[in-house]
Amino acid sequence: MAAVAELKFTSGNVAQVTISGSWSLREKSPHLKRCEDGIRSKASIGGIAIRADNLEAWDSSLINFLVKILKICESKKLKVDVGGMPNGIQKLLNLAMIQTDGELESREEKTKTPLMFLQTCLSIAFLRWKNLVQFFGETCIGFATFFRGKAHVRAREFLVIVQEVSVKALPIVALISFLVGLIIAFISVLQLAQFGAAIYVADLVGIAMMREMGCIMTGVIMSGRTGAAFAATIGTMVVNDEVDALKTTGISNTDFLVLPRIFALTLTMPFLCMFSSFIGILGGMCASIFKTDLTIIQYCTQTVNAIYINDFFVGIVKGGFFGLLIATIGCLKGLECGHSAEDVGLATTSAVVTSITAIITADAMFAMLFSSLGV
Amino acid sequence: MTAKISVKNLNVSYGDYVVMSGISFDVQQGEVFLVIGRSGCGKSSLLKYLMGLRSVDSGTIFYDGKDITSEVAHDFYGKKIGVLYQSGALWSSMTLAENVALPLEMYTPLDKDEINEIATLKLSLVGLKGFENFYPSQISGGMKKRAGLARAIALDPEILFFDEPSAGLDPLSAKRLDDLIIELRESFGMTIVVVTHELASIFAIGTRAIYLDIDTKTATALGSPRELLETSRDKNVMAFLTRGTKEIE
Repeated sequence: MAAVAELKFTSGNVAQVTISGSWSLREKSPHLKRCEDGIRSKASIGGIAIRADNLEAWDSSLINFLVKILKICESKKLKVDVGGMPNGIQKLLNLAMIQTDGELESREEKTKTPLMFLQTCLSIAFLRWKNLVQFFGETCIGFATFFRGKAHVRAREFLVIVQEVSVKALPIVALISFLVGLIIAFISVLQLAQFGAAIYVADLVGIAMMREMGCIMTGVIMSGRTGAAFAATIGTMVVNDEVDALKTTGISNTDFLVLPRIFALTLTMPFLCMFSSFIGILGGMCASIFKTDLTIIQYCTQTVNAIYINDFFVGIVKGGFFGLLIATIGCLKGLECGHSAEDVGLATTSAVVTSITAIITADAMFAMLFSSLGV
Repeated sequence: MTAKISVKNLNVSYGDYVVMSGISFDVQQGEVFLVIGRSGCGKSSLLKYLMGLRSVDSGTIFYDGKDITSEVAHDFYGKKIGVLYQSGALWSSMTLAENVALPLEMYTPLDKDEINEIATLKLSLVGLKGFENFYPSQISGGMKKRAGLARAIALDPEILFFDEPSAGLDPLSAKRLDDLIIELRESFGMTIVVVTHELASIFAIGTRAIYLDIDTKTATALGSPRELLETSRDKNVMAFLTRGTKEIE
């Protein structure tokens, strides 16, 4: 039998809601509107009695229906008698209608005026800047302590990180760089071949990979791979209280977490950038040989003639600086992480986005600097 | 006699939300002092302020009469205090022995063999002999807490802090940890501060307790757990200590 709720007005001033049938979440409950309209239309009723009559089965759908009735009665200040319902239903209705205590009130967000909103934004911005300045201060002190030979950087941790950020990153760096070199060569060979200058593909690919693309692509890959890993690892340590545990054990976060990561990435990035450049040149060579009549010897000779030692050093300097940026941002975002799993995800995303933005910005500044220096 | 830890009129709030208000108490040398109260009343936060991990809005915290509110001494962490966190907070990239050995490497002139011996000794004290080369991911939650305790006592600190030591443990493991706390106090004479809401632990280990009220964010009762149970007129304290079975009109 389907779920039924029937409102009847008896001779006194008490209306009666009779509940019957089988109530299930998997089926539609009876429309509340009829009962609601009935209750609201009669000004003379002083209370409602709810009773079960041939109630076959029930679940949360019935409780939900009754709670709505109780709330209508509450708003009309009507007395409700649920004594005619089974005990279980009465208990659940009691639980559902309990008012939340003051705990909720104290935690509820108060409506904010624009001024209060501005104040909150400014205080968050101030806190972020404070954290940033504190982090850089502590890192600088950490560097100074390290170079005075007093920092407690653990060699094993450092070597594990070096392995993680260098050897294990080689395959992905190689793949992306090869494809980037290939793409540059494919695009440029089509244009240059039109006026018989296809040989200069080697110059273009070589200089582009050495000065720009090698560093940028490695930077982007390492931001997504290593910067994110740094932020996630340190963020998880924050969530698990491991960072607090370091502090209360008297061990500096900077010495233990930040310095090894910064050193590892700053030292290995130049090598990765060089590796990326060479693999990119290799990719360019494959494309050139495939699309033009150039031989391997011709391509290599043209590349060697096109690249100067300056280009090599530009790549190394940029690579090291990008490594420093990625590691610093990854560690900062990790240490700023909140105390939930979601915060770790946010910290990781923020680390990647900030690192990539910082790398591109730094690259533009390097381009202006090297251009003005004539390098 | 100077109190080991003395807290005077501590106030903390985040914007409009008050975390704690006007908290004052003393912890005496060698006692097991409990911070009790309902979930969300600020017990773990109070612990962080006591350990100098967070800065307070106003109020003062003294250790042996010295004010540490704005700046902690160089040897405060590690030597002065040790902490057992709720999850154990072991460093996951290190074995248990390495976790215990790290503070020893940092703060003692001992050679590697002696450090390993002491790390093994500390792990034995907490019943983890033979687990030296295990990683945190290879052991149970109760063992992680005991390993965390071994690390916390690595440098024989004067004060030990416990953040909900029995949380998530079965009754026997919780009892074992309670026994360890009592043994540490009796054997080493350590001062111990425990944040907990486990009634069994409260009555088993507590010398004195402070009750933080979730509604007022203040400390509404201070005394031995038994005393609080028998004499407190605060209905929240009584409801908490009796799991709501006894109410004061």
